[in-house]
Amino acid sequence: MSLLTSILASTISVAVIMLYATIGEIISQRAGIMNLGLEGIMLMGAVSAYFTVVHTHSLALAILTVIVVGALLGLIYAFITVTLQANQVVAGLAMMTFGSGLSGFIGNSITGVAANLKFESLPIPLLSKIPVIGKIFFSQNLLVYILYVIVAIVIVYIYKTRPGMTLRALGENPGALDAVGINVFALRYAYCIVGTILVAMGGAYMSIAYSNSWQEGMTGGYGWIAAALVVFSAWNPAMAVVGSVLFGFISIIGNYMQAYFPFIPVKFVAMLPYIFTIIVLILTTGNFRKKHTEAPAALCVPYDRESR
Amino acid sequence: MKMRKILCLILALVMVASMAACGSDSKQPADSEAASGESAAPSGDEGSASADLSSIKVGAIVNVVKGDGGWCQAQYEGLTTAMKNLGMDVDSQLIFLENIAEEQSSVQAAVDQLVNEGCNIIFGASTGYAPILSELAPSYPDVKFAQAGDKVDNIVGYQIRDYEAMFLCGYTMGLLSDSDQMGYSAGMSEASVRRGINAFALGAKAARENATVQVMWANSWYDIAAETECANTLINMGIKYIGINASSPAIPEACQAAGVYCTGYHMDIKERAPKSVVTSFIWNWAPIMEDIITKCAEGTLSTDDYYFWGSDKDCAKIAPINTDIVSDQTVIDKVAEMQDKITKGEYQVFAGELKDNKGNVLVNEGEVMSDQDILSQMFLVENVIGEW
Repeated sequence: MSLLTSILASTISVAVIMLYATIGEIISQRAGIMNLGLEGIMLMGAVSAYFTVVHTHSLALAILTVIVVGALLGLIYAFITVTLQANQVVAGLAMMTFGSGLSGFIGNSITGVAANLKFESLPIPLLSKIPVIGKIFFSQNLLVYILYVIVAIVIVYIYKTRPGMTLRALGENPGALDAVGINVFALRYAYCIVGTILVAMGGAYMSIAYSNSWQEGMTGGYGWIAAALVVFSAWNPAMAVVGSVLFGFISIIGNYMQAYFPFIPVKFVAMLPYIFTIIVLILTTGNFRKKHTEAPAALCVPYDRESR
Repeated sequence: MKMRKILCLILALVMVASMAACGSDSKQPADSEAASGESAAPSGDEGSASADLSSIKVGAIVNVVKGDGGWCQAQYEGLTTAMKNLGMDVDSQLIFLENIAEEQSSVQAAVDQLVNEGCNIIFGASTGYAPILSELAPSYPDVKFAQAGDKVDNIVGYQIRDYEAMFLCGYTMGLLSDSDQMGYSAGMSEASVRRGINAFALGAKAARENATVQVMWANSWYDIAAETECANTLINMGIKYIGINASSPAIPEACQAAGVYCTGYHMDIKERAPKSVVTSFIWNWAPIMEDIITKCAEGTLSTDDYYFWGSDKDCAKIAPINTDIVSDQTVIDKVAEMQDKITKGEYQVFAGELKDNKGNVLVNEGEVMSDQDILSQMFLVENVIGEW
């Protein structure tokens, strides 16, 4: 039992890496902007957080830096896709290469440098005493708890509030919003920036909470998995939680298979997350699926008043 | 219809990303160490060895950065120490190129640059350069090449008898452990990594007759998430003493968070996790590099040379044992005694009778494993739990 609890606690700590990015991307895509540069933005978040911690020894400043860097990247991306109306697939890929390259350049001087300061695990007083659940969910670090709150807010916001309805409409039919006098461009800028900040937080979580180091390309594909999780979750934050926990579980269960099922080749075990990605995407996006999983209708379509 | 296309694209991208995740890409412009001090100032005095050395220019390429806290840093420090010992000027006589990807065109460009700068010897300090440099070397007859890792044609090879120090790491952990079950977190299955696991396990066995070592593969050379989860897996299995062959600080940190103990790899990483790191495996490349540079200056370096030096030349070392964790002086003394025996050649790590974990006899009683078999080990020894 305690082994299972430990496995699940590890699962949560890995899932959070993807969940930050997935939630951020869901917000952005709900507003009609697809940003495939997740990997690059996460790396920028990771490097700026670690860089700040190394040089200032302040976690608060690190988070502030990540928010500023995330906002800047979001602003750039919104300018390219909303104002300049560039192709979002190409712009996203450019963002990915830009982010990974720049983060490697910035991070050169802090590679291998020990900061010895991170968000340590912080069991919540009463909740962490609950058997099993307490160990799994409430013995994590501060950034994990912040994400719990963010996820709850985002779910309520999207489905239960009026601005949330506006957000959904933004990705479905921006023309209608414009007709009732809502500024589509300003809103798309805002949601793109908020989404990008969350994605950058995912990277920061990796470098100053989950571990405490920086290495070029340290996100190791989690940004791409998050991009896939957005589709898997059908743009629903609650499903994103399920998806990221599932992926977190798959990615760590391989280690236990090495120990307890040694007859399964190690290389095969290492393939599991990728095989699983493909299977899940086929199952959730294939033609035979009946449930409504359509992407926001205006996703990837720049809003142009002239051609309304 | 349009949506379908986008989904296809995302799918394709995810697959591409999974491939990209396997290959390391480093495309940063390399900053050359000695760009400013271009003139090597060849002085005129002849005869003495130091005079020859003053005209030697050393080049080196690595795939990460010189301050990576791991392999490349050990290589860089080995080179600079060797040059200082020889009285050479590091600023003007060493060109150290970083972030050179382990593929043909990048290596070719780096080598061209070093040759144009007038380098007499070029160190391929990351193991992945071996096949490329082996092929390139004949086209630069005036330049010598040395390559870390296994011996390949046309170039000098150098490697350290790492197993001697790794054995001591396992021995130390075995002396400390209160249980027979120990763990080892490894990168990818390669001969040098298996050598480390085997030496660690044999060391543990030398200290505790029934010691076993559970191997956990991260299947990556540097993946913070995978390494953290490897460590957590071992810890969750109840293992408290863990050996490491990994470059990132993820495992020591995970160990410290869980209150268990580990050894370090590449260099003394005590400060990364002062409550967990008992001792560290250390590469000391300086003696080898000193010899290579000297022979290069004398003109006696042969492309058939292979350096496989160990603790007798002070190349395979362990860090001083962390006395905040180990309060028992007898442990420290026992390790020092064992180190002394290995250094003097009185104790052989891979000596008979030695069996692998499938029951095959590798070395017969009274015999010692050949260097060739030590280098290319295709087995895990008897008390290792795991596959390779």
